Amino acid sequence: MKFKADEIASVIQKEVENFGAQLETREVGVVTEVGDGIARCYGLSGAMAGEMVEFSSGVQGFVFNLEESSVGVVVLGNYLKITEGDEVKALGQLLSVPVGEAVVGRVVDPLGNALDGKGTIVTSETRPLESAAPGVVDRQPVREPLQTGIKAVDAMTPVGRGQRELIIGDRKTGKTAIAIDAIINQKGKDVVCIYVGCGQRASSVAGVVDVLTECGAMDYTIVVAASASDPASMQYIAPYAGAAMAEHFMYQGKHTLIVYDDLSKQAVAYREMSLLMKRPPGREAYPGDIFYCHSRLLERSAKLSDEKGGGSMTALPIIETLEGEVSAYIPTNVISITDGQIYLEPDLFYAGVRPAINVGISVSRVGGNAQTKGMKKVSGSLKLDLAAFRELEAFAQLGTDLDAATQQQLDRGYCMVELLKQPQYKPMQVADQVISVYAGSNGYFDKVPVARVPEAEQNLLQFMAEQKSEVRNRLIETQKMDDEMAGMVDAALKEWWTQGSKLFIESEEGAAVGASS
Amino acid sequence: MSDNPELQFKIPSVLEDPSIKAIARVYANALLDAQGDSSGENRIEEYRSFIEDVLEANPKFEAILFSRSVSTEEKTGVIDRVVSSQASEIFSHFLKVVASHDRLDLLRAIFDVAVDLEEKKSGKVRVIVRAAASISEEKLAHMRQQLKDILSADPVLQVETDASLIGGLVIQVGDTVYDSSLKNRLGQLQSQLRQRYVHEIQSGRNRFSYSEGS
Repeated sequence: MKFKADEIASVIQKEVENFGAQLETREVGVVTEVGDGIARCYGLSGAMAGEMVEFSSGVQGFVFNLEESSVGVVVLGNYLKITEGDEVKALGQLLSVPVGEAVVGRVVDPLGNALDGKGTIVTSETRPLESAAPGVVDRQPVREPLQTGIKAVDAMTPVGRGQRELIIGDRKTGKTAIAIDAIINQKGKDVVCIYVGCGQRASSVAGVVDVLTECGAMDYTIVVAASASDPASMQYIAPYAGAAMAEHFMYQGKHTLIVYDDLSKQAVAYREMSLLMKRPPGREAYPGDIFYCHSRLLERSAKLSDEKGGGSMTALPIIETLEGEVSAYIPTNVISITDGQIYLEPDLFYAGVRPAINVGISVSRVGGNAQTKGMKKVSGSLKLDLAAFRELEAFAQLGTDLDAATQQQLDRGYCMVELLKQPQYKPMQVADQVISVYAGSNGYFDKVPVARVPEAEQNLLQFMAEQKSEVRNRLIETQKMDDEMAGMVDAALKEWWTQGSKLFIESEEGAAVGASS
Repeated sequence: MSDNPELQFKIPSVLEDPSIKAIARVYANALLDAQGDSSGENRIEEYRSFIEDVLEANPKFEAILFSRSVSTEEKTGVIDRVVSSQASEIFSHFLKVVASHDRLDLLRAIFDVAVDLEEKKSGKVRVIVRAAASISEEKLAHMRQQLKDILSADPVLQVETDASLIGGLVIQVGDTVYDSSLKNRLGQLQSQLRQRYVHEIQSGRNRFSYSEGS
């Protein structure tokens, strides 16, 4: 498209003619000191905490510290352009970000500027970064499940809509992978997802965007990125920006899922800003209000009452621990704020149990309320099986002879552990999860060699989808596992076993023969 | 001599450390509120004359007063010998008190605060007027009258010229700036135009990019 010179000139002329300049009234101050992303300003006597200011170079910031005759300003952007003696003006408004449909599918920075090269975001809808969490009367208990598509999570540490479930673990244990799987699994379920990358490597954020795009998840996802190279101020506000975007949809009655990846880096950014502002350091040099920093963020997740539209905001905050140290300051804080945690262990990860969830200490305080009835029923025995297995496993390592019943329980345990493994970016339908877990805990995989359990599971699910679709569809519809349903599933499983058992046992023998010859 | 061998002196600026204003206020209040015959205005006048006619005219004297390498006793002695015979009793006492607290380097800051305080007390408001070219006396008088009506106080105009404003006036009362300069208006027009057209161009782009699906 080409611009027509006379057309554009006439439009501009009209614009200039209609331009009614207002007498600008502004509250000003003078920069006295600038550096490390913060500026100290003299004047601005009427500025309020959190108010936005603009420097004469056009860079913006927000008021962070109010002192007797000066204010501390956090610079959002290039502070190298600011010099001593520059004028600062208060803008009289709070920091806010663009929200709404225009942002969905985009990668933005914490101020709402596009980072994906698809042009500026055009929307008139904005929302302040910091807003109060919904009150007691505006909420209702968490009851509806939010399926993550991961068997180990949905069966044992279920996440409900409006819940805050912490994902905690050392580096490289698959924390982000769980969150990404959960986002991918929301496809077609009318849940708006927000991934906040805070202090992450820019390459990992790009990787996440790539995966989400490939899986078709970017259509309903917003990525807010403040990478490790961005100033601390950006990393600090990124989670609040994401929360504001999610809140917009929540108050419209929609369901949202927000991932904060990760809050330990946000805490470090906040510590940096606080120390530069000369706020007194506390434990581990974090400022005294670091708890409030996380609690006010996570409290914004809620399941709204029906009068308020019934929308929800589910949060999956991520915390990175050092050497499994969960009793450090930030992990204990966030554990106490959230409604449960998924604990990932490097030992399990390297042993090939992926997702490396330690089911023993992972909990969900919302519990069975956030599960479908079917899943609730089948997962009860799963937990017991695994608990018994963990106790026995220690014995088994001593090499003592075991009686048949104990040995069977052990075998069942190994089988279940194998069953809970799941490849990355392959979330599963609830009905499939229920069938798998039901088959496992009722001993249908007992005769399958442990190493081949995943294969057998695939085979079973394929069989159910292709030949017993009526059973599977009914399970999807009713989401219950009553006696009648259990009977139908049992019959289907028996049929599968009569067909498939040969396949697994024979080929095992065949493989053994092949290996020996 | 004192322990500090440095001979130079440095006048702290409020831009470096905003807290000196708070310290200066204490001394300024003390000077203005001290019991005595002379009015606040006279005391300010004497202070101004001390800064302009004594300190600025005799940089070496200033160096003795402000330098850290001169002991407090010596400074008090100098003040006694040089200033006391000329100055009023209150002012020489004031200088000695400031000297005994080692705050002589704040003399100018104290003066600025004292002027502010005295102006506030007598119902005056400091107004900074910036214009692109110099303003005639007649216009200034008109402006003063108008400001007096609006602010319901006696404005003390401080006129500055700044050619980069192009035209119009910028009036600052305290921390509040009333800006009607041409420079500011052009800036407003620029940002409005830019915003409008970025918006239009982007919505055009969006229309094209979604047309395939619909």
